[in-house]
This record gives sequence, C-alpha cells and structure tokens, in this order.
Amino acid sequence: MSLRIDAIRECLEGIIPGQIATCDPAGMPNLAFLTQAQFIDNAHLALSYQFFNRTRQNVLAGSAIRLLVTSHLTGAQYRLTLQYLRTETAGPLFEQMKAKLAGIAAHTGMSGVFQLLGADIYRILAIQQLPGPVLAPPPPPVNHLIALRRAVQRLAGCATLECLLDTALDCLGAEFGIDHAMLLMHDEARSRLYTLASRGYPHSGVGSEIPLGEGVIGICARERTPIRIGFMNSEYAYGRTVRERIAADGPSDALETAIPLPGLPEAASQMAVPIVALGRLLGVLYVESVADLHFGYDDEDALVAFAAHLGLAILHHQQAEEQPDDEPAPAAEAGAPALAGPPLRVRHFAANDSVFLDDDYLIKGVAGAILWVLLSDFVARQRTSFTNKGLRVDPRIRLPGVSDNLEARLVLLQRRLDERDAGIRLAKTGRGRFCLTVTRPLELAEG
Amino acid sequence: MLDNDSIAFLQSGVSISLASCSPGGMPVMSRCLGCKIIDGGRQIAVFIKPSQAAELLDAIRCTGRVANVFSLPSTNRTLQLKGIDARVTPFDPADLAVVEAHVADFIAEVVPLGLPEAVVRTVFSLVPEDLATVIYTPSAAFSQTPGPKAGEALGAAR
Repeated sequence: MSLRIDAIRECLEGIIPGQIATCDPAGMPNLAFLTQAQFIDNAHLALSYQFFNRTRQNVLAGSAIRLLVTSHLTGAQYRLTLQYLRTETAGPLFEQMKAKLAGIAAHTGMSGVFQLLGADIYRILAIQQLPGPVLAPPPPPVNHLIALRRAVQRLAGCATLECLLDTALDCLGAEFGIDHAMLLMHDEARSRLYTLASRGYPHSGVGSEIPLGEGVIGICARERTPIRIGFMNSEYAYGRTVRERIAADGPSDALETAIPLPGLPEAASQMAVPIVALGRLLGVLYVESVADLHFGYDDEDALVAFAAHLGLAILHHQQAEEQPDDEPAPAAEAGAPALAGPPLRVRHFAANDSVFLDDDYLIKGVAGAILWVLLSDFVARQRTSFTNKGLRVDPRIRLPGVSDNLEARLVLLQRRLDERDAGIRLAKTGRGRFCLTVTRPLELAEG
Repeated sequence: MLDNDSIAFLQSGVSISLASCSPGGMPVMSRCLGCKIIDGGRQIAVFIKPSQAAELLDAIRCTGRVANVFSLPSTNRTLQLKGIDARVTPFDPADLAVVEAHVADFIAEVVPLGLPEAVVRTVFSLVPEDLATVIYTPSAAFSQTPGPKAGEALGAAR
C-alpha cells in the first residue's frame, strides 16, 4: 500500500462527511454517509454502528466495502477498500467512539438518536486518491514533534514533583499552545481523581474531585485511553455529570462539591489523556477549548507521548521522595516564628478525615489525615520538621498502601493551604523532607 | 414516486453521490455535480466527472444498477433513490448551467457551516470536457435522514 491512512487521517474527522458504499447479495448497491470513523493504525480503522440499517445488513452479509473520504484541508478525495473484521461493544476503542459520537450527536441535533451500539473494525485493503486538483495543506498551528521534544526536555530538568507538575502545565501552554488544562491524580483507594494543578481558569480547583468513570476525564481514567470530543455536549460535561451523580448519592458526601471543579462552561473541544506508568494509572491530563474540533489526531498523539514521559517522571520523583537525604533537616525545631493574631480553629472529623479551618472546609481523606497529624504534633511538641518516610509509617495516617502517591498528597495539601492563606504552610526542605510553618495560635478540635 | 417536495429537495444545495456495484460485487461511488429532473421525476440525470469515476461508469454500463444519495448538510435530510436501468450518456453542454447552479447552491449551503470555500471549490472544480451524464428511472426511494425512520421507503413503489 503506497498511500498510508496515517498520512490522510484528517479525512476521518468527518469535517467533510465520508460515504460508505456496499451491495446486497443480489448486487444492488447502497450508499450512506458515515457518522464517525476512527483511525486505529495503518491497517485498520473503525466505523460507528448505530442502527441496523441496509449498510450493516450488507456488511454482515459479506459485501465488499468502499469508503469515499475527503480532506477538509486539501480537497483531495480518497477511495478506500475495506474488509469487515469484527464489532467491539466495550473497551477503550468503544468508549473513545462513544464519547466522540455524543459530541457529533449534539452538534447535529441528534442527541438521543445517535447511540453507539458497536465499533465496527475494518481492515484497510487499499487506498486510492482520485485524480483532480488539490490545495496545498495549510501549515499546522503546532509542530508537535518539536513541541514534544522541548516539553520532555523541560520535564527532565525538574528536581521535584511540584516542579514537574508546574512545568508540565506550563509546557502545554508554551509548547503546545493549549491554554486551558488540568492535571488530576488518581486516588486508587477511593476510585476518584483529584485536581492537583490547573492553568487558564479563574479558580485553580485544586482538591476538586471526579469519580472514576464520570465524564471525559473519568472515562479516560477508567479505560486508560485518550478520549477526545470535538463538539460541546451535555452527556460528557464532566462538571454536570459529577454534580448529578453526587446529588443522586444524597447529601452524605457533600464535601465532594465543596471545591468547585475548574473548567470552561462553554468547552466545545475536550481531550483527556491517561498518565500511566509501569501499568499503573497515576492520573489524567485534561485540556479543553471553546472552539469546535480544536484537537486533532496529532494533538492526541503528542499528549499521549508527553503523558507517558510525565508518568515515568512522576513515578521517579514519588519513589525518590520516599528516600530522604541523609543530611538532617536544617533548623529543626528551633527558631519557629512567634504565633500572632486571632486563634485559628482547626476541626477534624475522623469519619472522613475532613479538616475545617474556622468552619471553612479545607481538605479531607489522606491529605486531611496528614494535616491533622502535623498540626497535632506541632501543638503537642512544637514539631515542625517531617519526612515522607515518617508519614508513611505513622499509624495515625492509615495510608492506603505503598502504591499511594504520598508526595502528590503533600503537594495537594500544600497548595490548598497556600490558597487558603490562613497561617499554616508547608514547604519542602529537601528530598523527602518538609517543614510546617504556623503563624497563628491554633485551637484543635476533634469532631 | 417523487412528490413535488422531494423533487425540489433534489435540486436544492444538496450533496449528491452515486454508487454502483461491479459484476464481481465491488461497490464504487463518486460525487455528482448536480442533477436534472426529467419528465416530472420519472427519470433522473446526474452529472459525473469520468476522470474520477471510470470504475463507477464501468459498473453502471455492466449492471445498470445505481444508488443515488442526496443530503442537505444543514438539516441532515437525506434521500436515497435506486435504479436498475441506469445508462451513461455523453454530457450535453446545455446542462452546464445546471451544473454551475448546483455548485453555487452547494457552496452557499456549506460555507456558512464552516467549510473553507477554496476547499469546496477544489472538490467541485470541473471542465466541461470531463463530464458525463448518468440517467436512470428511480425504482425505489428511501429516507435516510438519521433517526428511527431511516431506511423507510418513501410512499408506495410504483
């Protein structure tokens, strides 16, 4: 095959709708428009199956299959010859296509009509370009390979997880031209993702949560596959689905909405990419835009590669922080600043390890348990120096296990405290070490 | 078979494509550059670029069988006609005005939807020497507008 599908895969985005021709066993042709096509690799593509229509009857009866697709960039037309292989009704490819179809359905007024019944997988037997004039393609807005090279080089210069997270999000803007992005980490024990960093929103949303399986981000995490949607649609609006799910669960876990999710209310294009390392889901990188069809196959490929690199780096930093420096922490318990100002009331609820500062919710879960231990030790014996290793073995914290990303929890806690600015701060003092700074008198209360 | 509303629809800014199937069972399709209603809809003529449709025209010459789809991008309204007596005829230069009007109507339909005009004009670029006409009698008509009624026959076949 001289012409490769990966060289023309913009044709599969459906901006100029593709067509499928089949024939019945008697030789009568049938022609239909494609709702959705999905690039898989140079030998395979998938088509959405929504209705048991004539096309599908012919395909299942063994018809040869032709597609006619057109590039919206050049006007070139291509005729593909396909062979039907199988239909998938679950799994990553199915979920990718289901999400994309929801966007297409909303865009074309077909919500409720287009429901994905299956992802039909075809082998590409031949690609033929039709004769005729074509336009030169416009230059791409981003050279993804250069962007990726520069971005991974910048990640390689990071010495801490915090630096890594900030650099990763900075790179999305500076190198890939993506202005709205979030990085969420996976809480394995609770089947949740929590926002650890974001760019391009009025509020950072650090600490906000999304259940696994909900919306673009949750499905990306559950299936460990990139999800990319080109048009606004309510089905995958993660904020809405999360709120509805929590409303259905009742008020018992109302803290889940205490920190609003960041996000563009009018997002049209959305893409979530899993961050996986050594077979473990570490988190999700999420980007969005108010423009339709803003992210293409090339953006997806670049971010998948970037997220793979980021995942290994996160894992490395996480493990490094478990091995603290040999040097003792500088200025241990001595020289703590004098406490001043009105007392800060800190209330801890053991049931979910939620912590409130002056009646305002701050954090819960593992990060809440950590903060409570730090503040208890500070009040009891003026302790300000801590190590990741020490927290890991502290029976009061009940970490879910060695797979837990303790360092990410500390970054989350540090950022929530910085945003609250209530007189409690955390700062790293070395690898696997950090110090607590308290500038107001504390009143600790349990329950 | 075709009421006035359908006939008017076929001549609006629709996307038109024609398919046939070779005697060996290989389907093949091409875009059309307009259509002409003959004898009040008893026959349909569509215009094709032979340079892009040699395989299609060969299949039609062998089998006479065609599937002809008309779809309006702004509404997704889609109609498929089928015929079993299609034949390929030389292009009548008098029909050039029909072709040019169709291309203009189609561009007016899709450019507001966001398609770049230069790309659409490239897809529909033509020279009169590279045109052929396919004429057939519609023997079946189906609505293909997406939804529960997709695939239903229009009216009773005569």
